[in-house]
Amino acid sequence: MTRPFPYLLLPHVLASRNRARRRERGDAARAVLFGGVALAVCAALYEGAFWLTAELDAYAELGDYLLRIGLSWLFLTFLSFLAFSGVVTALSSFFLSEDLRLLLVAPVATRRLFQARFARTLVQASWMVAAFVVPVLVGVGRARCAGPGYYATAILTIVPFAVIPVAAGSAVTLLLVNTFPARRARDLLMLMGLLFAASLVVVLRMIRPEQLLRVESLPDVTSFFATLQSPVTPLLPSFWAGETLFASLRGGRDLIHTGALWSTALASMALLGAAGERWYFAGFSRSQEAPKARFTQFRAIDAVVRWLPFSSVRRQLLVKDLKIFLRDVSQWSQLLLLFALVLLYLYNFRVLDLQRIPYMSVLVKNVYAFVNLGLAGFVMATVTVRFVFPAVSAEGAAFWIIRASPVPLREFLWSKFWTGLVPVALLTEVLTIAANHFLGVDPFMKVAAALAILCMSFALVGLAAGLGARYPRFGADPSQVAGSYGGVAFMVQAVLLVLVMIVLVGWPSSIYLFRQARGLPLTSMQLLLAAGCCVAGVALSLVVWLGSMRSGIAALERMSD
Amino acid sequence: MIAIHDLVKRYGQFTAVDGVSLDVQPGEIHGFLGPNGAGKTTTLRMIAGLLKPTSGRVTVNGHDLAQAPEQAKASLGFIPDRPFIYEKLTAGEFLRFHGGLYGMDGVGLGERVREMLDLFELGRWEHELVESFSHGMKQRVVMCAAFLHRPRAVVVDEPMVGLDPRGARLIKGVFRRMSERGVALLMSTHTLEVAQEMCDRISIILKGRIIARGTVPEIRALGDRHDDHLTSVFLKLTDGSGLQEIDEIV
Repeated sequence: MTRPFPYLLLPHVLASRNRARRRERGDAARAVLFGGVALAVCAALYEGAFWLTAELDAYAELGDYLLRIGLSWLFLTFLSFLAFSGVVTALSSFFLSEDLRLLLVAPVATRRLFQARFARTLVQASWMVAAFVVPVLVGVGRARCAGPGYYATAILTIVPFAVIPVAAGSAVTLLLVNTFPARRARDLLMLMGLLFAASLVVVLRMIRPEQLLRVESLPDVTSFFATLQSPVTPLLPSFWAGETLFASLRGGRDLIHTGALWSTALASMALLGAAGERWYFAGFSRSQEAPKARFTQFRAIDAVVRWLPFSSVRRQLLVKDLKIFLRDVSQWSQLLLLFALVLLYLYNFRVLDLQRIPYMSVLVKNVYAFVNLGLAGFVMATVTVRFVFPAVSAEGAAFWIIRASPVPLREFLWSKFWTGLVPVALLTEVLTIAANHFLGVDPFMKVAAALAILCMSFALVGLAAGLGARYPRFGADPSQVAGSYGGVAFMVQAVLLVLVMIVLVGWPSSIYLFRQARGLPLTSMQLLLAAGCCVAGVALSLVVWLGSMRSGIAALERMSD
Repeated sequence: MIAIHDLVKRYGQFTAVDGVSLDVQPGEIHGFLGPNGAGKTTTLRMIAGLLKPTSGRVTVNGHDLAQAPEQAKASLGFIPDRPFIYEKLTAGEFLRFHGGLYGMDGVGLGERVREMLDLFELGRWEHELVESFSHGMKQRVVMCAAFLHRPRAVVVDEPMVGLDPRGARLIKGVFRRMSERGVALLMSTHTLEVAQEMCDRISIILKGRIIARGTVPEIRALGDRHDDHLTSVFLKLTDGSGLQEIDEIV
């Protein structure tokens, strides 16, 4: 075959075009929601970069110095992200993609296939960085009134800057796949990446950067900036990109660093191409050999579930769901990140210094209890949309087994509900009770919040299971399912429910606390209204829970129409 | 036994299955033949309870599928054309799970699982993940599942796809043994030699309607010559010969 390598990208281009042309229910709502969020993020990045650059402008040389370091650090952050993203993306596009068997049996030179796959990896691994960096650089340029030369330099900088780490990441993948089986390498990478992200988040928080904002810690700020300069930094492409852009911001040119960027990018592509020609097919062949998979039997699950007071069918469904979940690294590894975020959440309440405002600390503590209730509600909605909403879709192409079996679809969906409810309710109850304990809120608030969270757990897990059954995406992976029309619809309804529940709990609680602070008893009317709010909260949860489950079961039964 | 009466399935204006009736008696292997898109899989999926008929009635071992779906399904085994199963379960775990869905539990289930795995020559793969299996092995796991709960009727969609000759011989042997024990088998296939070799009766479906039914000799008698092979008769009945055109093109 003599066609150039971009021809091999044609199926992806055509598939993207067809996806864009296809119209599905909820497209407009999704476009408005996601487009709105994307625009808001871009606007915030632009405004933030513009404001910061304008503020730094007031500090003359120190401002220039900080801007220069800032650009270098911005690119350093993206450099590490691109390298990691390059490794993961290369693994799927070079070795795990379904269409590779079709292409490798075709008379296509390995070099051309490798080039096409690298182009695809580059785009997939770097589009997000480009989407983030463009509004930031435009904001910086506008604040410094930069000319067109700056924007042209920005484009000429971003391209080689993205090529270098993605090429390095692809080379690491090539090495890994020639050492481990491809699927095992993917699991390892995913786990390492998430462990890295989780520990980074925790460590960054433990440093307590808010302390730098205190007047008494100003000397620390100076030493903080001093540590930003490291002897390794000038050898990294992030430094070259920062220097190139900083020079063009001042109307000049930094040909040395531009040259370093382009020559390194071209050299890394040439080296990767040579390595690919030598080792790509060997690696692909190895990835097909599929040595005996090692996995955990999880016999403890069988032993524990055997003692649960469930029917045989429900026990089997539970064992199946748990084992599949725990054996899929891409599923459970996200729990690590979640666990890190939960730790941070509790840690923030632990270190909250409310004693600085002693005369208001009691009031502030109880206000924070409502904030905590809302946050726990939103955490619950996020966890639920990611883990409970895709539960029906997760059956995938194997759903025929359930449908052809004598198990009522009602029992199937209720099994999904209980499997989701227990961990979600436990997680959010622990979050709420522990955070309220650290805050030292009124015991009445502790009980009210715990009960409200319990009601919300039933309602949100029921809503997720029901909507997940109404809008299943059997072919998609769980994260895609969570971002589908049904997932968005769930999030909108979940947020509304959480807000209504906060109002229903918050209003009578605030009256109670206000009266208690003044030593006054509640009037009979206030007691009646408080009871009404409680009943309304419980009734709302019940209606959402049972109504959603019923509509989900009906939708599953309609599938055979 | 399996009995369907005047089964219709419409998708909007398109009628995929148009008034199909047939019955499969205990111990009978009934072949269900037809060209691609004739309505075979749609019919079988309606019998398995995966699709709801627009009209008509399906009865499995005396249980009306619409009135008592759970009883009907409990006595039926279904083998789909594509063996999609849970990739992250081992063969043994999948079968125990499947047995649980059909109300099987306890020590007996474990023994039955091993018995079925041995029958389909998968005994040494019991503790391996399904994701590492070949297509043929997955197909055999699905068959283990279909026969696990000792169904009185089995619906099979394209049983020989992806099986090697040894696997195909094994499956034929199992089907014969099941039919000897009184299991009613309804089997769709494109492999006419298999139908000729195994089936007691054959129904041929075209454009959603049954166009011929009978024993293999009766169907063969529908050909131009009495000694016609089943393939020639099938092509004649389904207007699918086209051999002359192929010759001209090639």
